[in-house]
Amino acid sequence: MERTSKTAKLYLALIFIILYAPILYLIFYSFNSGGSMSNFESFTWEHYGAVFSDTRLIMILINTVIVALLSALLATIIGVFGSLGIVYMRNKSIRNSLLSLNNVLIVSPDVVIGASFLILFTMIGVKLGFASVLISHIAFSIPIVVLMVLPKLQEMNSSLIDAAADLGATKGEILRRVIIPFIKPGIFAGFFMALTYSLDDFAVTFFVTGNGFSTLSVEIYSMARAGITLTINALSGIIFIVTLLLVVGYYFISQRGKSPVGMGVRK
Amino acid sequence: MQTKNTKTFYLIPYFAWIILFVIAPIALIAYYSLFDLSGNFTLDNYKNFFTSIYLKLTLSSFWYAFLITLFSLLVAYPTAYLLTKTKHKQLWLLLIIIPSWINLLLKTYAFIGIFGLYGPINAFLNVFGFGETQILFTDFSFIFVSVYIFIPFMILPIFNALDKLNPSLIDASRDLGASSWTTFSKVIFPLTTNGVKAGIQAVFIPSLSLFMITRLIAGNKVITLGTAIEQQFLVTQNWGMGSTIAVFLIIFMVIVMIITGQRDKGANSNGKN
Amino acid sequence: MSETPIIRFENVTKHYDAETTVLTDINFELERGKFYTLLGPSGCGKTTILRLIAGFMQPSSGNIYFNGKLINNVPANERQVNTVFQDYALFPHLNVFENVAFGLRIKKLGKKEIEEKVLEALKFVNLSGYENREIAEMSGGQRQRVAIARAIVNDPEIILLDEPLSALDLKLRSEMQYELRELQQRLGKTFIFVTHDQEEALAMSDEIFVLNAGNIEQSGTPMDIYDEPINRFVADFIGESNIVSGTMVADFRVRIGEKEFECVDQGLNPNENVDIVIRPEDLEITSVEKGKMKVKVDTQLFRGVHYELSTYDDEGNEWLVHSTKKAEVGAFIGLDFDPEAIHVMRLNETEEEFDKRLESYGEDAYAN
Repeated sequence: MERTSKTAKLYLALIFIILYAPILYLIFYSFNSGGSMSNFESFTWEHYGAVFSDTRLIMILINTVIVALLSALLATIIGVFGSLGIVYMRNKSIRNSLLSLNNVLIVSPDVVIGASFLILFTMIGVKLGFASVLISHIAFSIPIVVLMVLPKLQEMNSSLIDAAADLGATKGEILRRVIIPFIKPGIFAGFFMALTYSLDDFAVTFFVTGNGFSTLSVEIYSMARAGITLTINALSGIIFIVTLLLVVGYYFISQRGKSPVGMGVRK
Repeated sequence: MQTKNTKTFYLIPYFAWIILFVIAPIALIAYYSLFDLSGNFTLDNYKNFFTSIYLKLTLSSFWYAFLITLFSLLVAYPTAYLLTKTKHKQLWLLLIIIPSWINLLLKTYAFIGIFGLYGPINAFLNVFGFGETQILFTDFSFIFVSVYIFIPFMILPIFNALDKLNPSLIDASRDLGASSWTTFSKVIFPLTTNGVKAGIQAVFIPSLSLFMITRLIAGNKVITLGTAIEQQFLVTQNWGMGSTIAVFLIIFMVIVMIITGQRDKGANSNGKN
Repeated sequence: MSETPIIRFENVTKHYDAETTVLTDINFELERGKFYTLLGPSGCGKTTILRLIAGFMQPSSGNIYFNGKLINNVPANERQVNTVFQDYALFPHLNVFENVAFGLRIKKLGKKEIEEKVLEALKFVNLSGYENREIAEMSGGQRQRVAIARAIVNDPEIILLDEPLSALDLKLRSEMQYELRELQQRLGKTFIFVTHDQEEALAMSDEIFVLNAGNIEQSGTPMDIYDEPINRFVADFIGESNIVSGTMVADFRVRIGEKEFECVDQGLNPNENVDIVIRPEDLEITSVEKGKMKVKVDTQLFRGVHYELSTYDDEGNEWLVHSTKKAEVGAFIGLDFDPEAIHVMRLNETEEEFDKRLESYGEDAYAN
């Protein structure tokens, strides 16, 4: 027993090392005053300075964040109403086909989504750039929001709605005071997932972005194709910290949403 | 429950989305696959796809996707299994998931340095007397990086399946005389196939369509269907051929989904009924 | 008694970590072919004993012997013991036949032999014809039987049953109690049954072990334990009882409150403080003048076979009475009882001391 658990621990430790090593490797060399990722000369903040003095890079960062926040927000709104529509769809076969259609973009390969959106935008005459990227991000985030909200809606007891109606609430009030508070954790989860999908997306953006507009992923790609610059390392250090903060924040929100399900209903 | 009007009113954006961004793109891909470079209606693209260049490409793409999926599974299953045995398993799982939230491009970029001619792996090999070898731009580096990227997506569904497994089933199997290995092969694995299938789905289809990793890590070789689509759309500007490959990629995707589809019997087969 | 016990626990202690001890220094022996019940509230350690015998866990210290052989480190799959689990633990990916055949396939028996044995086992539990059903299609009671068939088909020396009836409804449960008892007698195997239901334990067992907080409080036949509980815990856990504090005035004389009563206990120290148990069914309603005790009726419930009265004496002790006679709520009544109905329990008496004391009464009783 002792021996196997030791090998088990070793194995898990190895997996964790492999998973984190590349990230830590990147961050480590972001402090290298030498210009490469191979020999560490001395400690410097120089590359972080480079990130913040590069106005183009800063603009791209801001663009990326704006696209992520806007697309996540809009996708969440559309997705929540979509899931309400699916749940209260009486006809079972329509509901099921709606669900299947909803999931198409989730399982489709990024390249296919990117290519097909490219055709779509060209056909209807949307100029490639901020608008096309934003619309694409909304489009591929909607189904994720639906998948996060739907289980919450299904787990909601329908007698809650009957009770609210019985107590004199109108349809709008039922939605505002009963349904939305109940599915809030699902909405948060959906928003957060949409945010990360948008921040992480490369392939779709790569297809639908024009010459004048770029997001971080696309920019890193073109920088990386050109070779190693430690500016990317510094960038990854910043992104890692931000990601960690997001994860911790999300963890707390989801923990808070988990325990008192009834809390929201009471208000 | 809702009157007809309010229902349709708040559903407009969602339905518009389904028509514009789910149905229309697929239709457009299918439509474009029927035109050649100069805009003439033709089936040439499909003919082309069945020439040896594209068949070879498809085969190699499947082969790489198969290897990536296989290695991911081999690494992920024991990891998921051991994770369910840890004390704070949800926390450890979160730690496994965190790297998957770091931008994909950054992780890939890291390997350019790690596998580079002067990177740590070569430095390590040097210690043992091996000369500097080009690890980057090889099949090994491509598969390794892909497996690295996909592992969390394989671990997650398997972990969930294992976590749902009723522990007294394992006791029962031991009680009836089964060794640890028999218990694994006859009870644990059959009851977690749904997790494995979900993991395969999450890894195999994206592996077919990778193009960023092939460009950065495998060099400029066109070795996956995804790279070919990107090439046709953005380099050669042959949207017709690109769409044709995309049509086949969609067909392959549907086939994979059907094969790895969840059967109902298995859906509640965690034994907690 | 010269036969080696099939299971022997020798100073067995089990703790999960430094703080939580589940079993403390457990000693007992089990004879072959009997129906044993481990009875106690949840968390008393009864399931732990079962898991130790099954081999799902090892004792922290002490030894477990099976047919005289030390089995502390024998893994579960090499023990001739099979378990019927609380949630049945039937394999959902296998049908009824394959579930029952599981252990036989591990043993690599021939195809024909497996089929014969499985069908026979299913017949034994009245499930002939169900072999091709999926587990999901079976009802709770049927799953229960499959689980039993899966255990007995391997012909183990001991069958362990971990609260196997707790998931069934009341009617099915009492049916299964009969069936299990009958099955054990037909098979002639050692059954070790875990339950927190005292009625179940009394109805089925040859011998009961009453556990509390990791200790065996008392062991004995159902009648012994019901009639002669060793202490407050056992008396309270087994059946309904009136438990009051009293004083032993002299041999055969016990005082409750202000009154003295005749009893059958002797050999205790004069004026020793004791706990006294009188079962509600041993109290008989009579007139205030004729009764040994005067009480006031507080509430009365009709329970079908009897009335259940809650009454109070002058000192404020509650006396529960089971009687076929009706009484008036608020009225004073008399309670009558035999000297044998009074059971005296010494405080902090160990099981050995207790047994010795009881034995000495027996000799006396016959001598008189």
